[in-house]
Amino acid sequence: MKLLDALIKILPSKPVYAHCDIPCGIYDPHSAQLAAKTVLTMVQKINELPKENPTVEDRNSFVRMVKVKEEHAELCKREILILWTDYFKPEHLEKFPDLHDLVWKCAKLCSENKRHVDEGKAEELVEAVDKIADIFEKTHTH
Amino acid sequence: MKAPISRFIVNGNSMSPTLKDGQDVLSVNWFVNPKVGDIVVIKIEDKEIVKRIQSIHDREVFVEGDNKEESTDSRYFGPISRDQIKGKVVYRLW
Repeated sequence: MKLLDALIKILPSKPVYAHCDIPCGIYDPHSAQLAAKTVLTMVQKINELPKENPTVEDRNSFVRMVKVKEEHAELCKREILILWTDYFKPEHLEKFPDLHDLVWKCAKLCSENKRHVDEGKAEELVEAVDKIADIFEKTHTH
Repeated sequence: MKAPISRFIVNGNSMSPTLKDGQDVLSVNWFVNPKVGDIVVIKIEDKEIVKRIQSIHDREVFVEGDNKEESTDSRYFGPISRDQIKGKVVYRLW
C-alpha cells in the first residue's frame, strides 16, 4: 500500500470539509455573559444612587440605569435561548442532562432581574450564564 | 467532465474517528452508486464536504457525520439530492 499511497500523494489535492461549520462558527456565549454582567453592574450602580433628595441628574441616571438593565436582561435571555434552540444538540444534552433546567432557570432569572433591583438575583444570573458558557466551551472544540 | 478520481484532504472533525483532520482520502467520481453506509463527497453551496449516508429514499439522501457532536449535516440542512453526491471515498491514507 506504500506505493499506492505515494502515487496518490502525487495527485493534486483540495480540501473536503468535515466541519460543524455553520453553527460553530457563529455561536458564542460571550454576549450573554457580557449582558448578565451589565445587569449586575446596573443593579450595583442603582443601589449606589442617593435614596434621599435625589437631584435631577440622579433621577436621570436612575432612569438610564434601569433602561440599560432592562435591555441587557432581555438581550441575555435572547442570547441564551438562541444557544439553546440553535447550538445545543441532543448529544450535548446526553452529556449535560441538567442543560434544559439550567437554561429555563437562567431565562427566568433574566425576567426577575427586569422586575427587581436585587444584587443577589443579578449575581445568580451571572453564575447561571457562566455555567451555560462552560457547557458551551466543553462541547465546542474548534 | 469530472476526473474519475480525486484526492482530498479532510478539514475538520465531523467524520472522526473514521477520518481525521488533515487525512488524505481518495474518491471515485465515476459510476458512483451510493449505498447506505458509504462515505461520500457532496457539494453544498459550492463547498465540498464529506459525510456518511444514513438513508436513501428515492433521490433524497440523508447524510450525517460520524462524530455527531461536531457535525453539521442532514439533521441541520435536511436531506440532499442524489445529484449532489460527487464521489465515494474508497481509500484513506495514513
